[in-house]
Amino acid sequence: MFKLNLKIALRNLWKNRGITSINVGGLAIALAAFILVMMYATYETTFDKENPNYDNIYVVGITYPEFKTYYTAAPFAKAIKQNFLEVESVGLIKESSFELTIKNGKKTLFTGKILAADYNAAKILNIQPKGGLVQPSGDVERLTYLSDKSMKTLFPSKKDNKPEMVGFGASNSGITGTIAGSIKNNLHSNFVFDGVSIGNELGNGDNYDMNNYTICLQLKSGTDVINLEQKITDLYQAELLKSKKGKRNDEIKGISAFLDPLSNLHLRPKAGNDTPYKILIALSVLGILILVIACINFTNLSIAQATKRAKEVGIKKVMGAFRLQLTTQFLVEIFMQCFVAIILALILAELILPSFNNLFQVQLTIWDLENKLFWQLPLILLVITIIAGIYPALVLSGFKPALVLKGNFSTSKQSYWLRNGLLVFQFSIAVVFIISLFTINSQLKYMQSQDVGFKTNQVVYIKNLTLFNKPAKMGSVNFEPVREKMLKIPGIQSATVATYIPGGTNGINSYSANGVKANIDFVNVEFDYFETLNIKLKEGRFFSNTFKTDTVNSAVVNETAAAKYGMKNPIGQTITGSGIEYKIVGVIKDFKSQGFEIAVQPTIYTINDPHGDYKTQIMVKIEENRMAEALAALKSQWLQINPKDGEDFRYEFLDELYGKLFKKQEQLQSVFFAAAILTIFIAILGLFAFAKYITNGRIKEIAVRKILGANDLQIFKLINKTFFVMVLVANLISWPLAYILTKKWLETFAYRVDMPILPFTLSALITILLTIVTVTIQARKAVKANPVDALKYE
Amino acid sequence: MIKIENLEKVYKTEEIETTALNGINLHVKEGEFVSIMGPSGCGKSTLLNVMGLLDKPESGSYKFIETELLTLNDRERSNFRKRNMGFVFQNFNLIDELTVFENIELPLIYNKVPAGERKKLVNEIIGRMNIVNRSGHFPQQLSGGQQQRVAVARALVTKPKLVLADEPTGNLDSTHGNEVMELLCELNETGTTIVMVTHSSHDASFSNRIINLKDGHVISEKINKGRTEELI
Ligand SMILES: Nc1ncnc2c1ncn2[C@@H]1O[C@H](COP(=O)(O)OP(=O)(O)O)[C@@H](O)[C@H]1O
Ligand SMILES: [Mg+2]
Repeated sequence: MFKLNLKIALRNLWKNRGITSINVGGLAIALAAFILVMMYATYETTFDKENPNYDNIYVVGITYPEFKTYYTAAPFAKAIKQNFLEVESVGLIKESSFELTIKNGKKTLFTGKILAADYNAAKILNIQPKGGLVQPSGDVERLTYLSDKSMKTLFPSKKDNKPEMVGFGASNSGITGTIAGSIKNNLHSNFVFDGVSIGNELGNGDNYDMNNYTICLQLKSGTDVINLEQKITDLYQAELLKSKKGKRNDEIKGISAFLDPLSNLHLRPKAGNDTPYKILIALSVLGILILVIACINFTNLSIAQATKRAKEVGIKKVMGAFRLQLTTQFLVEIFMQCFVAIILALILAELILPSFNNLFQVQLTIWDLENKLFWQLPLILLVITIIAGIYPALVLSGFKPALVLKGNFSTSKQSYWLRNGLLVFQFSIAVVFIISLFTINSQLKYMQSQDVGFKTNQVVYIKNLTLFNKPAKMGSVNFEPVREKMLKIPGIQSATVATYIPGGTNGINSYSANGVKANIDFVNVEFDYFETLNIKLKEGRFFSNTFKTDTVNSAVVNETAAAKYGMKNPIGQTITGSGIEYKIVGVIKDFKSQGFEIAVQPTIYTINDPHGDYKTQIMVKIEENRMAEALAALKSQWLQINPKDGEDFRYEFLDELYGKLFKKQEQLQSVFFAAAILTIFIAILGLFAFAKYITNGRIKEIAVRKILGANDLQIFKLINKTFFVMVLVANLISWPLAYILTKKWLETFAYRVDMPILPFTLSALITILLTIVTVTIQARKAVKANPVDALKYE
Repeated sequence: MIKIENLEKVYKTEEIETTALNGINLHVKEGEFVSIMGPSGCGKSTLLNVMGLLDKPESGSYKFIETELLTLNDRERSNFRKRNMGFVFQNFNLIDELTVFENIELPLIYNKVPAGERKKLVNEIIGRMNIVNRSGHFPQQLSGGQQQRVAVARALVTKPKLVLADEPTGNLDSTHGNEVMELLCELNETGTTIVMVTHSSHDASFSNRIINLKDGHVISEKINKGRTEELI
C-alpha cells in the first residue's frame, strides 16, 4: 500500500511539478534562513557553556544612582570570601585594553586585550593554558600566556610549550619578561583575550576608592541568589562606610550590589546594553515568520487541490481505507517534500554562511560534529511537516465518500475563509517587513546626510603609549614638542591629544556651576582639539597657547552643558570640578560624538585635570591628497617624533572608528532587506501557484462568461478582484502593527526622522502591483483559451 | 441475505430538511439481481449509500445475513465494507494517478492480499474484462466504456458478496452500456448479489426484481418473470 500511495504522491507531484518545485524551493529558502538563525541563536546563547560550573558563576556588579558597572574594588573580593559560606570561590579579573607591544628580536606583536586574572578567577572561568593551569608561586610571579596566533607571530618555529623571554614596549625600553606558554583564545566566551596574565593575588595594594577590578564568584549549588545579593549589598555599604570617612551616609545608601549570572553576560548584562538580546529575538521572530509563510504555501495549495484529492479520498474509503491510513498518507507526502526542502536548505545555508558570518561577525559552521543542528533538524522537519500538513491530513482525510463521489463536489466554500485568511496573513507579514525596511532605510539615510557637527574624514587616530597628562602623571611628557615635529611633515594641518576619541565613551565626573551640581561628561584635551575635529564654536573662543591660563584653569563647554547649568552667559563663569575652579572661555556647538542613538551629553573640555584618565589618544588632521605621503613620513620618523612610544607607528582612520557606531544599524538594514525580500518572494511564489489553481478551477466559468459576451479585460478584472481585496486588507491590517514597531525602533534614536508616510504607501503599491502582475500572468492562459475547448473538456 | 426495515434518512441543511428515505423496507435474497428505479431525487442513491455503509440513516435496521450493520463503528464499517461489498459508480471514480492495473489492485491492497496473489487476481479479471492491453494505461487514456469496465473489474476483484451499482450505464452510450450490463449479468450468474440503481427500463430488464421508489417510499415491486425463473 505504501508503494501505491507513493506512486500516487509522486505522480501528483510530477503532474504539478511547476507548483511543487515552487513550493519546495520556497520552503528550502525559508528553511535556509531559519537554519542560519537557529545556528546563530545556539551560538549566542551558549557563550561559556563549556564551563563545568556554568550555572553557578556570577559576576558582582555595583549600582550607582546614575549607572551600573562591573568595576569594583579589589578588597571587596576578600570581604565576600570571608563573610559568605555559600560562596565557593572568589576571583578577580581586570581587562587591559591598553595596546602592548611585545618583541622577540625583530618580531613585533601588538596585543589587544590582556586579561589579568588571579589564580581563583582562572579556575572559576575555566582558563586553560596549553599544558594545564599552573599556580603562580608567591606574590609577584605573573604567568603570562599568549594566544596561539600571537605566539606564532613571535615564535614562528616554536614547537614545544616552554617559556620564552620577550621584550615589552619599544626595543629601547629595556623591559623584558617571560611568556609562560600559549593558550587557545576562545571567541565563544564572555572573556575574550589575546593573552592572559595570571597572578596568585591581584589588587593587594588597592583600597575602596579604586574600582579597577571585576569580581567573579562561584556559588555553591542551590544558593539563594536574591538573598545573597542583599547580603552582599549590606556588606558593600558597610565596607564603604568603614573606608571612606568623608562619604556621606545617604550617598552610600544609594549604592547597591547585584549578581549577574554568567549565562546573562553575553546577551543581556545588567550593566550594559541588551541589544544583542533584542537582535537575537528579532532574528528569531523573523526566521519563524519566514518559515511559517513558506508552510502556509503548502497548506494553501493543499486546500486548492482539495477538490481533486477529495475524489481519491472518497474512492479509497469506499475500498475500505481507514481515516488514519489516509491521514498518514498525506503526512508522508508532505514529509517527503519537506525532507527534500531541508536538504536543499542545508546546501543553501552553506552557500550563504560566509556572508552571514561576515555580517554578524561570527564563525558558524554547519559541518561540525558537535553542531546542535543534528538533532534540531529532524525536529524542524517534524514540526514543519505538521504545520504544512495538518490541514490536508485532517480535513481531506475526513471527507465523506457519499458526498465527494457524487461528481459535483467542491471544497471551495468550506475553505474559503481559511484559505483567504492565510493569504492575508502572509501578505500582512510581508507588508510589515517592507515598511520596516523602508523606515530603517530612511533613518539610515538621515544619519548619513545629517551634519554630525564635526568632521572625521581627514583625521587619523594614532595609537600611542606616551602619557601627555597635565598635571603630569607617572612619566607624562609635554605634548608640544611632539606636535611641533608632526606639523613639520607636509600635509599635516593640526595635531592634538585627548583622553578619549569621538565615538568612544567619555569620562563622567561631578562638576558644579551656577549653584547646580551635576555629573557630566569630561574630556581632557590639548590645543587644537576643536580645530582638528572641525568642531564649531558658538561663542567665546577655543583653547589657545596665547593664553597662559588655558593650561591651568580654562574650560570649554558644549551647548547642552551650558543649558544643564542654566547659564545664560556662560563665558567668564566658573565651573568647579576635580578640585579646580575652571573659567569658561568658550561654548561649542553640540556635536554627535556618540552617534545618533544617544543624545549629546553635557560635556566639559579642559587641558588641565588632576583626575583625568591617560591622555594618549593622538589625532592629526591631514590634507586629503597628501594623506599617503604624510602617513609614510610619520611612520618613518615616529621614533624621533614620539620617542617614548617606540618605533612602532600604529594608526586608524577616525571616520572608520566613528562609522562603527552605525555598524549595528547597517546590520539591521541588511537583515531586514533579506527578510523583506524573502517574505515577499515566498508569498508571491505561493500566490503564483495558488492563482494558477484558482483560475484552472474557473476555466469553465470563464468559458461560459466569454460565450455570453465578456471581454478579456472584464475577465482579468473578475479574477484579480478577490486578490486585490485581500492584499488591500493585508495592508490595512499591518499598517498599525508596522507603525507601532517602527515607531518603537525609531525611539531608540535620540536623533531620528519623523515617522515617514512613504513606506506605508510604497508597501501598498508594491504588494498590490506584484499581486496583480502575478495573478494576471496566471489568468492569461485561461482567458486566452478557446471557450469551446474548455467546455468540451468538461 | 439483506433485511432492511423502516429505514429513515433525513438531510438537514441550513434552509430545509429533506427526508430522502421515509420508512423503507427491503429484503434481498442471496444471488438476487435487484434494480431500483424512480424519478430523480427520490432517494435511490441515498438508499444505495446506506446499503454500502457510506452513509448513516437516522433510524431503522439493516441486517446483512444475521449481522446488524447500523450499530457498527467507523472502523468496523470500513472492515465490513472492504470484505463484502463492491461499488460501481455512474462517473466511474477511478484514481487518475493510478494505472488500470493499479486501480484494480487497490481494494486488494486494502484487504491485505499478498502481492503475488494480487497480481494473479488482477490479471485474471483484466482478462475477463477484455482490457488486457490497457493495463498500463491511465484512466484518461480510456474511453468511457473502458473506464466503466475497469471500475466494474475493481468492484469484482475482491469477490464481494454484494455489488452496489449506481447508474452504471448513465454516462455510456447504448453499445458500451450493454457491455457493462452483460458483465453484471455474468457476475450475477456466478452467484454475486447485485443491487443496481438505474433510469433505463432496458437495463432493469436484466434483473430479477424491480423496485420503484418515490419520495423515499417503495411504491411498487415487480418480479421480472423471465429472469426469476432462471434463478429458481
Ligand atoms: N448531501 C445532501 N444534503 C442535502 N440533501 C441531499 C443530499 N444528498 C441528497 N439530498 C437530497 O435527498 C434527496 C434524495 O437524493 P438522492 O438519493 O441523491 O436522489 P436520487 O434518487 O436522484 O439518487 C434529494 O431530494 C436530494 O436533494
Ligand atoms: Mg442518484
